[in-house]
Amino acid sequence: MIEARRISKFFSIVDENGIAAGLTAVLSVSLRIPSGRFVSLVGPTGCGKSTFLEILAGLQAPTEGEVYIDGKLVLEPLPGTRKEMEEYRKRYRFLSPITNSLIRNNPKHDIAMIFQDYAVFPWMTALKNVMFTLELRGVRRSDRKGLALRYLADVGLAGAESKYPSQMSGGMRQRLALARALSVEPKIILMDEPFAAVDAMTRERLQDDLLRLWEETGKTIVMVTHDIDEALYLSDDIVVFSPLPGTIRNQIAVDIPRPRSRDAVDMSDLKTRIRKIYEYDAYAETEYSI
Amino acid sequence: MNMKRLREEERVDTNYAASGWNLVRREIFSFLKASCGSLVTREFLSVSIPLLALWEVIPRTGIVPSSLLPPPSYVAVIGWEMLSSQALLGHIAISLQRLFLGLLLAFALGFPMGVMMGWNQFVRKHALPLFQLLAPVPPPAWVPITIIVLGVGLPMQTFLIFLGAFYPILFNTYQGVKDTEPRYLASGRVFGASEWTLIRKVFIPHALGPVVMGVKIGIAMGLVMLIIAEMHGAHSGVGYVLIESKDYFRVDRMVVCMIVLGSTGWLLIEIMKYFEAKLAIWRMGR
Repeated sequence: MIEARRISKFFSIVDENGIAAGLTAVLSVSLRIPSGRFVSLVGPTGCGKSTFLEILAGLQAPTEGEVYIDGKLVLEPLPGTRKEMEEYRKRYRFLSPITNSLIRNNPKHDIAMIFQDYAVFPWMTALKNVMFTLELRGVRRSDRKGLALRYLADVGLAGAESKYPSQMSGGMRQRLALARALSVEPKIILMDEPFAAVDAMTRERLQDDLLRLWEETGKTIVMVTHDIDEALYLSDDIVVFSPLPGTIRNQIAVDIPRPRSRDAVDMSDLKTRIRKIYEYDAYAETEYSI
Repeated sequence: MNMKRLREEERVDTNYAASGWNLVRREIFSFLKASCGSLVTREFLSVSIPLLALWEVIPRTGIVPSSLLPPPSYVAVIGWEMLSSQALLGHIAISLQRLFLGLLLAFALGFPMGVMMGWNQFVRKHALPLFQLLAPVPPPAWVPITIIVLGVGLPMQTFLIFLGAFYPILFNTYQGVKDTEPRYLASGRVFGASEWTLIRKVFIPHALGPVVMGVKIGIAMGLVMLIIAEMHGAHSGVGYVLIESKDYFRVDRMVVCMIVLGSTGWLLIEIMKYFEAKLAIWRMGR
């Protein structure tokens, strides 16, 4: 189970007049995601949902609040006072808090993440990419290759194992990213707009494959997207984010029985509802900002 | 079409299957093709042959005396004499030994230091300003003090070559490692990679291009420093032969030395290019 308690994230930025200003990317977001659920975070672009996902993954420290995954704290929040800040700096003066450790690999909290532009390593073949994560997981050297080939076959990449990412299409790279994520046998997969960069036909096939894998393995999936149709088709719950500062605007349970069809009637009802929220936020923005 | 693809696939298979002497022979052949290939194209021959002819004709017609500009045919004869008397070969061997020692030292220190500075802010903040202060001192300016401290000999020559090659290797490595795409690091960290794993599997492969670039500049600078070192403090080596020829007013011998130095640099850089292409297949796109 993922539990986010009152997560806030402030950035200090410099505006066009050269004056330092604060930007609240995420404001007091509390969210509880039970195991095995498929949850989508939707919202307009730049509403802090990707930042929130990176906080869940432990790639950014929240300014306030804590994330617990199965009861374990992911990253401590940034210190609030000047004195605490000095101590914090001292403690992390050699290695930043988001690093794992110096020598030993330790997979943390069984999380895998898929990034918007895949982030598979271009200097490794498909096989090596998967073997890399298997090595991190601690699989014995002799077992790695066979296992990697199996994960590649699972996502439909059998036969492409000796290709480099630059020789692949966008859809194949996304499949490779998925294979890499599955290969660590995570309990939770976080996805940051995973299908934004592929064409519509490929996207639908990838979505179906993802659903199949999710149903087979029963993992928790948290997906960030700005595509309402995608969210409705795939997820159990939809969390709607408001524009900056990113807060949870609404949480909608999609109780349409599976397998779903892409143009079900009850789906279009929900879609209109979410649309209305979007529109309201766009026009009545001032009333929501602090 | 289909047949053609099939045959290509077969060829790829045999490529992978090649081993032993076959492999060595094929590698040497492809290296020669990659390096000398650009010299014997029709386009370049149409430039190089007239240039050589011009060089041959000018001293022969007496526009410039041939003692100042020896024609290439004469240079070739002198070059052959110098090579066959074994003296020049010995000098080349000594020079190469110095060059490799210096370059090896520069790489052995510059590469790890560059990686450390690019990887970690703590190291960077402590070490980088020092190198930024020292690097602008032109390496030849180190010659007098080096001769006084280390005396004339191999340590002094090696140190000077090291100075020339160290900073390009260091700064290029540092820059390449520092510019590593944060997304690749993030994806490694999410999967639990330790910093040591990230350095081996992400930072260094990502920085490969800049590192090879740094080594290439290092080779060029190392050659410069080799000649300066041998001119000021050596009794052997190509640089010494060069400065000695000046005393005997033998322009032909000087030209031979220059050609030897030029082709050494060219060959070393071609070897680096070849390794770069071998190591960075993944960059070759579709």
